[in-house]
Amino acid sequence: MNADIHKLLRLKRYEAPTSDYFERFLDQFNERQRAELLRQPTWSLVWERFVGVFPDFHVPRLAYAGVAAAAVILSAVILLNQQGVTPAGPSFALNDPRPSATVLPSGRGDVRMPVTSRSDFPPHYVLEARPVSYESPYSF
Amino acid sequence: MSETREEQEINDVDLVARTQAGDPRAFDDLVRKYSPRLYGLVYNMTSNHEDTNDLLQDIFAKAYRSIKGFKGKSSFYTWLHTIGTNMTINFLKKRSRTYKMSLDDVDNGIHNDPEFLELTSGPDARREVNLKELQVRLNEAMMKLSNEHRAVVTMFDIQGMPHAEIGKILGISEGTVRSRLFYAHRQLQNYLQEFLVN
Repeated sequence: MNADIHKLLRLKRYEAPTSDYFERFLDQFNERQRAELLRQPTWSLVWERFVGVFPDFHVPRLAYAGVAAAAVILSAVILLNQQGVTPAGPSFALNDPRPSATVLPSGRGDVRMPVTSRSDFPPHYVLEARPVSYESPYSF
Repeated sequence: MSETREEQEINDVDLVARTQAGDPRAFDDLVRKYSPRLYGLVYNMTSNHEDTNDLLQDIFAKAYRSIKGFKGKSSFYTWLHTIGTNMTINFLKKRSRTYKMSLDDVDNGIHNDPEFLELTSGPDARREVNLKELQVRLNEAMMKLSNEHRAVVTMFDIQGMPHAEIGKILGISEGTVRSRLFYAHRQLQNYLQEFLVN
């Protein structure tokens, strides 16, 4: 041990707050404790009372793991049930909102094509057969 | 007459039991008893009075909230200092590097301290020491140490705790305490060369 350094550092114990600091500190501490008690949510106060009445009550060590496992199993069951309800096969054709072509009863094989407005499909802008996003960036 | 260490611990056991049973005045007694010592620990690690005051409030509040979980495996003193050291080190990790020192006044008792007299007026005194300058330089040197080294220096050199107690508080072996002290002293010797007599 370096004795000189030790002696020099020992002088730091003379740095101290004023004599009445510690009494004021206790008052401040008690005020703060009371203020915190008022801010505490109701459930927390109820829990504290409960623990006060049953001081030996402990949440079992594996309880959290058990709850987590139960949540995983429940989620899996719900997911499997949802998959069972979904009809088999591709569903996109059933959901196609566009009107289909119909054969006219003229006997000549006439077909009426559906009338679609421009607003039925999103606009698709193409410059020289290349999407805009594929254009090379500006370079100077 | 001052209490022996054993008497102090028996007294603490009683105060802790009363606090656990819901007597807040018992905890007030623990705050009165330990706030000066804990203040010294936090202050010498932060070099800032306001930070120390805020941290001390937080440390006692945390101790009060956790006291039901205190089983007496260590002394209350060790338990409280462990909370204090951990909270102070966490605070220092988040504190801005541009903080300002806010130092307490130096007690007049220092003028009668033999070590101070040796430093300032003995035949080997290297220079006339300005007390304020010495205080600032000591604090600057301390703040150059890492938080972990500063904690060990504060507890051993300033507060006079034995190596074993420091080890328990920090959760490290006595050997690690000694090696941290050795390294920290070497660093401090470089920073404080001009104040060292020999």
